[in-house]
Amino acid sequence: MSTAFPLPTNISPTTVANTASLLRIVAFGLISGAAIASRLFAVINFESIIHEFDPWFNYRATRVLAAKGFYEFWNWFDPTAWYPLGRVVGGTVYPGLMATSGVIYNFLHYFNLPVDIRNICVLLAPGFSALTAWATYMFTAEMKDPSAGLLAAAFIGIVPGYISRSVAGSYDNEAIAIFLLMITFYLWIKALKLGSALFGALAAIFYFYMVAAWGGYAFITNMIPVHALVLLIMGRFSGRLYVAYCSWYAIGTLSSMQVPFVGFQPVRTSEHMGALGVFGLLQIVAFASLVRSHVSSKQFQNLLAISVVTMGVLGAGAFVVMTYKGWIAPWTGRFYSLWDTGYAKKYIPIIASVSEHQPTAWPSFFMDLQLLIFLFPAGVVMCFRELRDEHVFVIIYAVVASYFAGVMVRLMLTLTPVVCVSAAVALSTLLDTYVEAREPDVPEERTEANGNSVADGKKTKKAGAATAGSQAGSSAAAAASSTISDFVSATKSNANSRQKGIWGADARLVIILNAIGMLVFFVFHCTWVTSNAYSSPSVVLASTNPDGSQHIIDDYREAYYWLRQNTPQDAVVMSWWDYGYQIAGMADRVTLVDNNTWNNTHIATVGKAMSSPEEVAYPILRKHDVDYILVIFGGLLGYSGDDINKFLWMVRIAQGVWPDEIQEPNYFTPQGEYRVDDRASETMRNSLMYKMSYYRFSELYGGGNAVDRVRNQQIPKVGPTLDYLEEAFTTENWIVRIYKVRKEDSLGRDLKTANAFAQGKKRKRGKPVSRRRAIV
Amino acid sequence: MRTRSHSKSPLSWSLFTLLSVILSALVQLSSAGKSASSTGDSVLVILEPAKKAEYSIFLDGLEKKGYTITFRAPKEEHPLLIEDGLPNFSHVILLASDTKSFAKDIGPQSLVQLLSLGTNLVLTLGLKQNLLTSLAPEFSLLLPPPATPLVSFFPERSDSPNVIPIDVSSQFIPNDTFSVLSSQVTGKVWFSGTPFALNPNPLLFPILHAPAESFAADMSDASGLVSDALADASEKGGEGLWAGSSLSVVAGFQTLIGGGTGHGPDAGSGEDKQTRAVWVGGSSLFSDEFAKKQVVEKIIQERGMKVVENPSGNKQAALEIAGWAFQERGVLRIDEVTHHKVNQTGPVEMYTTNDEIVYTTRISSFNPSTKKWERYSGLKDLQLEFTMLDPHVRTALLPVSGKPGTYSTTFRAPDRHGVFKFVISYQRKGFTHLHHTLSVAVVPPRHDGYPRFLSAAWPYYAGAISTSVGFLLFCAIYVAGEAKEEKKNKKE
Repeated sequence: MSTAFPLPTNISPTTVANTASLLRIVAFGLISGAAIASRLFAVINFESIIHEFDPWFNYRATRVLAAKGFYEFWNWFDPTAWYPLGRVVGGTVYPGLMATSGVIYNFLHYFNLPVDIRNICVLLAPGFSALTAWATYMFTAEMKDPSAGLLAAAFIGIVPGYISRSVAGSYDNEAIAIFLLMITFYLWIKALKLGSALFGALAAIFYFYMVAAWGGYAFITNMIPVHALVLLIMGRFSGRLYVAYCSWYAIGTLSSMQVPFVGFQPVRTSEHMGALGVFGLLQIVAFASLVRSHVSSKQFQNLLAISVVTMGVLGAGAFVVMTYKGWIAPWTGRFYSLWDTGYAKKYIPIIASVSEHQPTAWPSFFMDLQLLIFLFPAGVVMCFRELRDEHVFVIIYAVVASYFAGVMVRLMLTLTPVVCVSAAVALSTLLDTYVEAREPDVPEERTEANGNSVADGKKTKKAGAATAGSQAGSSAAAAASSTISDFVSATKSNANSRQKGIWGADARLVIILNAIGMLVFFVFHCTWVTSNAYSSPSVVLASTNPDGSQHIIDDYREAYYWLRQNTPQDAVVMSWWDYGYQIAGMADRVTLVDNNTWNNTHIATVGKAMSSPEEVAYPILRKHDVDYILVIFGGLLGYSGDDINKFLWMVRIAQGVWPDEIQEPNYFTPQGEYRVDDRASETMRNSLMYKMSYYRFSELYGGGNAVDRVRNQQIPKVGPTLDYLEEAFTTENWIVRIYKVRKEDSLGRDLKTANAFAQGKKRKRGKPVSRRRAIV
Repeated sequence: MRTRSHSKSPLSWSLFTLLSVILSALVQLSSAGKSASSTGDSVLVILEPAKKAEYSIFLDGLEKKGYTITFRAPKEEHPLLIEDGLPNFSHVILLASDTKSFAKDIGPQSLVQLLSLGTNLVLTLGLKQNLLTSLAPEFSLLLPPPATPLVSFFPERSDSPNVIPIDVSSQFIPNDTFSVLSSQVTGKVWFSGTPFALNPNPLLFPILHAPAESFAADMSDASGLVSDALADASEKGGEGLWAGSSLSVVAGFQTLIGGGTGHGPDAGSGEDKQTRAVWVGGSSLFSDEFAKKQVVEKIIQERGMKVVENPSGNKQAALEIAGWAFQERGVLRIDEVTHHKVNQTGPVEMYTTNDEIVYTTRISSFNPSTKKWERYSGLKDLQLEFTMLDPHVRTALLPVSGKPGTYSTTFRAPDRHGVFKFVISYQRKGFTHLHHTLSVAVVPPRHDGYPRFLSAAWPYYAGAISTSVGFLLFCAIYVAGEAKEEKKNKKE
């Protein structure tokens, strides 16, 4: 047997094994280090701060948990959110994240390590990313081998698609959920492979943790049943499947019902019915196979036919009846919006208004996954070639997650792990093939090698191309790029019993160097994307000065701290729901609506107030005891995520509840344009949002042209006037503007009249109403 | 924990009570000045110096009541009404009704500002246009055109038709809860000046109506006969507009507290900044001349008519009108609001849905004669609302017998969680508005606050227990059976 390059021969197999495991440990340590380190850009570039919106709530909740203990947290009723409705936080939250931080906090404090709860929250996501890498390693090792696992771990460690949700400070449910997702899948595969109730139970425990941590647990709830179902249909029912599934389902479902927010959903909503159905089906199939082993095959055929039909009809009928009766909740709107991307915009604007619920744009696949998106299909094909039970799982996962990632940007996150796994399988197969030192057996005349069952598509293709080059003729077609022709040519060459393989070290080197080059680029890409795109806290904005240095725009915190220090503790601040959690977290003030968008009507009320004229909005404001209104205005700086750009969503959501009073077309010009300059429609210019955004804006330009830099439109010189509100605070760059709601006039006049009087305008002389009827 | 807090609370409670008693005594000493007003003693009278003597009876009466009076001519610059954003006087009387132009700091806007800063006003209208003419519409008053005084030819008298005796007693409304002019105003009140109509405004109410036979008319006609003016008015289609008892000659205005929401920047009980303004159609109502002027009345008797000369009620009426404006009468305040669960004491941070809540409040009223705040149980129609966006509970808040000034009610919290407000909103004619809100959270029961064992759940309990027992039995039998088999195997 020849080798392409010399191999040392005097090493014992134990040494090799030991070295390999040591190398694995070292590599894994480095991967963890890289995973954590690349997530610290956010802390280095900015500071140790909680990011974005939802994390602020999680952080606040964690503080409550750490300060008051778990039972108080469970019973926490937050009167400052959704004023005056309040929010039963303990029952409407996935407590896994907070509980995790709380445990870590108490653990550290038990050992007298006085770590601030904020730092635990900030660094939780990077820490868990190392665990995710480990879980992905275990999962991929089950698919192929540990070296593929290491690749997958390295991929998931630095891939931007996952980093986007797990940088330091991004203290969100997804931070721990991806780890739980992968570990649950790993344990499920393990349970399925071994037919082990122990691993099934472990999978169930991590499933419970997942349920407690993220609403996306429904993904697992449906992935595992679908996998089991496909295996059933493929005729792969076995005792292992039965044991693994039943132990997972029974323990997992019972434990998931212990989470207050989930409660009885696993037996009452359509989303969970699949798991229950497969559970029932498995019992039937198991019973059928039991019966089969006891009765003759003729009888069994009849029995099977009758029972399957009866059970099927009964099951489906029961499901329909129960849905109709309302015992099982029908599919929710969020679920429908997964299938029909236009559904949400039409019926639930509040879901469609979230940018991360928008369909994914193509470039973001390349941005988030780069090299991996090319390797991903190859890896899936690899799975087809072997098609063990666990490969079926990866294939299903790949198909489902690809679809979902195309529908919603945020679901890119669930696609990322399977992409890493498949890409790792593909790349590791490639490397296996080319690093392998053994050369194919050289026959006397023709270049032939035994068709190895481990050979992968690329290898076949290369080999096919090589032979075609040397022999010319009909096999030139084998160079065609499509997979099918690959297979065709492969079978052909097999038929010709041609030997395939790689000869020489140089051919290997070319491919391997190429692969390494791609990996290096991948690393550079990941680092660049991480540091530039995904590390911004979005609470603090950064821009560059002309000299290239960083300029920090800290308007949000300026405004929130102003509120905190200049308003009474129980002042009610109204803003669009995006900023609710931040106001609660940073300003510690009462909010009307926040990012937990549970009450559409309440949000629509705020939307209505924002899109109505002052005199219509004022009673709404007073009824809800609003003291301050906060708006985000980016016109001065060119900050495009401001409220005027979100305004149409407010209008739409308000229109959904009050179609008679708020109509979206009124906010456009007759030509159908959304404008804010002097051609803006009357309704638009009278709306509270417009007035609050552009109040005194043109004064800033001292009579010059006031230009809104986001919309690139000129603002009229005579700006809007406010009667019912007064400006309380505007930040340095005008990003946040806070208005105070004036109290009723002490003389009982409406504030418009009162204002006119205060400005010295005279009123028309009135006359008493004649009580005498006119004589006709 | 519990015992500790129990042992601690009575001590701190008594300390607190002691402190509050001392403090309130101090407050009483300091606030209870020498005047009968609940808000202060200093009065600024804006008046032409030459006319000072014309109002001596009224002003002496005020001084007797304990007020300190400062005079200021309309065009004088000092003393300022508002200095450094604070009012210099507790009360301002504007008697310079015929003055055309005033000093810079006396304007309609500054007068409204005075009201919002806590100064009470008495404003007298003249026949000519001045700053009050433009101010009046802000108070929902409608003034007739300039130089159209109130005119009445009844009763027959020797005086000019625009000097009118108004019968106060005939204007009393039966079962009225409050009237500014008390029964001490004996005799008719002389009036001469402009009437005004009142636009509907819950804050404004008439104190003295114009007589039913009177009307406003132009008196510039030298003859003193106003028939032409009447004819003119009817030609212009305005006939009957400025006539009759719907016109008022004195009207009271109680300002809002600035509509506090009771939380946030509006926190506090809120009655401190309520002020009063009185509009009087002519300054002569306060004058010595009218105070001394006798009212000639013809009383029809069986044997013909008898002419009686009675003293006018002006002196008393003027003092009572000013007294109401200066917050001597009809001044209420909420001293204390407490709430707790039934059968418990001490305040609670949050209630659970369906809790029985006891709400108690103590209300005081200012007594001008003793110059002290006294517990007041006289409110029969006080209501309490338990509100979240809309009132979920609205119940009568009745006085507790035996405890003066205490009003209390017990009600069940609605089966709805959220932030509720206890709202007292009491706005009655002549009284200060009572407005008090207090937020409290109503939360769902705690996780262990639900009933533990439900009879409806017995099938499930039975299922769980039977499964457990069955499992244990199975295990036992399985293990035992195995052993036997092994033994058998061994034997075999």
